[in-house]
Amino acid sequence: MTQILEVRGARRVFKTPEGGTVAALDGVDLDVGQNEFVTLLGPSGCGKTTLLRSISGFEQLDSGALMLEGKDIGRMPAFRRPVNTVFQSYALFSHMTVERNVAYSLEVAGASKQEQKILAGEALEMVGLSGTGSRMPSQLSGGQRQRVALARAIVARPKLLLLDEPLSALDRRLRQKMQIELKALQSELGIAFVFVTHDQEEALTMSDRIVVMRGGQIEQCGAPRDIFRKPRTKFVAEFIGDTNLFETTIECVHGGRILALTREGTKIWLSEETKLAKGDAATVVIRPTDLQVQDAHSSCGFRGKITRVIYLGTDLHYYVQPAVGGQELLVVSRTDGSRRAPGDEVTLTYRPERAHVVEDC
Amino acid sequence: MKYLRRLPLSAMLLTFYSLLFFAFIYAPLALIVTYSFNANPVNMMVWDGFTLDWYRIILGLKDRPVDIVNSSSAYLDSTDQLLEALRNSLIIATSTTTISTVIGTSAAIALARFRFRMRGFYRGLMMMPMTMPDIVLGIGLLIFFVSAGAKLGLTTIIIGHCTFLTSYVFIIVQARMAGLDPALEEASADLGANEWLTFRKVLLPQLMPGIAGGAMLAFIISMDDLVITYFISGTDSTTLPVFIFSMVRRGVKPEINAIATLIILVSIIIAAVGLWLRARRKD
Repeated sequence: MTQILEVRGARRVFKTPEGGTVAALDGVDLDVGQNEFVTLLGPSGCGKTTLLRSISGFEQLDSGALMLEGKDIGRMPAFRRPVNTVFQSYALFSHMTVERNVAYSLEVAGASKQEQKILAGEALEMVGLSGTGSRMPSQLSGGQRQRVALARAIVARPKLLLLDEPLSALDRRLRQKMQIELKALQSELGIAFVFVTHDQEEALTMSDRIVVMRGGQIEQCGAPRDIFRKPRTKFVAEFIGDTNLFETTIECVHGGRILALTREGTKIWLSEETKLAKGDAATVVIRPTDLQVQDAHSSCGFRGKITRVIYLGTDLHYYVQPAVGGQELLVVSRTDGSRRAPGDEVTLTYRPERAHVVEDC
Repeated sequence: MKYLRRLPLSAMLLTFYSLLFFAFIYAPLALIVTYSFNANPVNMMVWDGFTLDWYRIILGLKDRPVDIVNSSSAYLDSTDQLLEALRNSLIIATSTTTISTVIGTSAAIALARFRFRMRGFYRGLMMMPMTMPDIVLGIGLLIFFVSAGAKLGLTTIIIGHCTFLTSYVFIIVQARMAGLDPALEEASADLGANEWLTFRKVLLPQLMPGIAGGAMLAFIISMDDLVITYFISGTDSTTLPVFIFSMVRRGVKPEINAIATLIILVSIIIAAVGLWLRARRKD
C-alpha cells in the first residue's frame, strides 16, 4: 500500500510553567496509507493532539520530517497544506450560513458562486443535511453542527482528513451512530482519516489501525484485534478494555507452552511464543470475556467466591475473589439461565491461548 | 398563611423601591424636557403656559423677544454659534471614533494573538489612560501641546480624545477577542485562507459586535467630553459641551432646556437604532 502520510522522528518540546520542558512528541514515526482509517488513541497529554496539530500545520515540529504524498510539508504554512481538520469545538463560523460555512474552502480558493453552491450541496447531502444550507449554525443541534463541520472539511476533497475528538460532545447514542456513519463516509470518499480520541471503544469501532500513544511516544500500533488481543505492554492492556492482570514468575517454558506462577501460587498456562525463560517475572493478561465461570468442582483454573454480580442487560459482570488471595477478578459473560449469586463458590477457567504476557512498563 | 400574607408586602416594597429608583434617575431629565416648553422667560421654575418658542429661537426661526435681549446681553448670540459648536463636536467625534477604533482594535488583536515580550506591560499601558483622572489627562495634554508648539484647535482635541478613547475600544474588543474560539482562525487557515482572508472573512465579522460597541462608546464619550476638551480647545474650536457649559456659567436660561431636550432626543434615537440593529442580527 502506498503511503499518503509519513511522519519520521517527530519531536516537539513544550516549556512548562515551572520552567522545565516536556516532550509532547518524543520521536514519533507514523505511516498512514491511502484510504486508511488510523486512530491516535491515548490518555490526555499523550501527544496525540500535538501530532495531529503538527500534521495540520498549527504546530511546528522541533525536529523530524513530515511527508505528504512524498512531498515535505514540514515548513509549509497551514493554509497551503492539502489536509483539512474537523475540530473538537466544530469551529463553525457563526456569522455565516451553513452553506457558506461548507463552501468556505471553495470561496477562499476563488471558486465561482455556482460551483460553491453545487459542491456545498453535495457535501451536505453526504452528511445527511440537505436542505439546511440557508440556516445559521446557531439554529442547528449539536449533532447537526458536527455534520456541518464534517461537510466543510470534506467539500474540497483533501488528501487527508484529520479529526480531533469530533464526537466527544455528542451523547452516547448519537456518538455510536456517527461512528458508523464516519466509517461509511470514509469508504465512500476514499480518503485517509486520522482520528484522535481517548475513547478506546470509539477506536475499536472505526479504525483500520490503532496507534496507542503514551508520553509522546507510540506505545503500540496495530489492527484493533491485535491491540485488544495482544497488547504489547501493561499500559496498552489496561487502556484498551477491562482486563485482569497477574504478576507472575515463569515456572517453565516448553515448546510454546508456558507455565507461570502467581505470587499466591496459582498456576497459569499460556500458549504463545516467548523469549522469557524460567525464573523471569512476567505480567499476564486475561480479558474478562475470556474467563468462564464453572462450578466449584472443576479441576483446573482459579477457585474463588463471587463477591458481586452486576446485571447489564446482555452481559453479566461477576467479581470473583480468588481463594488463594490477591486481586479480585472480573468476568464478563453473556446473560444465561444459570443464576449465580454473591457467595457462590466457583472455578474460573480459560483457554491457554487467551492468556497473554505483556511487557511490564 | 403568615408567609403568604407577608409576600405581597415585600413585593410592594420592592415595587416602591424600583419606582423610586427610576424616579431618581429620570426626574431631572423629565424636568428639563418639561421646562423646555415653559413660556415663562424669566423664572423657569414657574409654569407660564406651553410654548415652542425656545426651540424656534435656537433653530433660528424666531428672534428672541426684545425684553429678554435687553435683560441678558448676548446670551445666545446666534444660532450659528450653536450649530458651529455642534459641527465641531461631530467632526471631532467622527474622526476620534474612526482613529481610536482602528488603533484599539489592532492593539487588542495583536496582544491576544501574538506572543512577545512584556505583553502584560503593554496591556497595562493600554488600559492606563482610562483609569487616569480627566483633569490630570487634560492638564498633561495641555502642557504637552503648548510645549510642542501646537496650535490648540480641532486637531489637538482629536489627538487628545484619541489618547484615552483608544483604551475604551481596546478593552471592549479585547473582551470579545478573549471569548473567541481560537479554533475559528485555525479552521479558516485549515480551509486554505491566508492571514488576510482569515482576518477579513472570519476575525473581523466575529469581532464586529465588540468593534461596533467600542466605536459607539467612543463616539458618545467624545461628543460628551467636557473636562479634557476644555483644556485643549482653542478659542475658535468650541465643542457643544464646552459651548453649553459657557452658556450655563452665565445663568441657566430657557434655551438650555430646549438644547438639552434635543440632545436627549438624538441620544434616544441613536440608542433605539442600535438596539433595533442588534435585535435584527439575532434573528
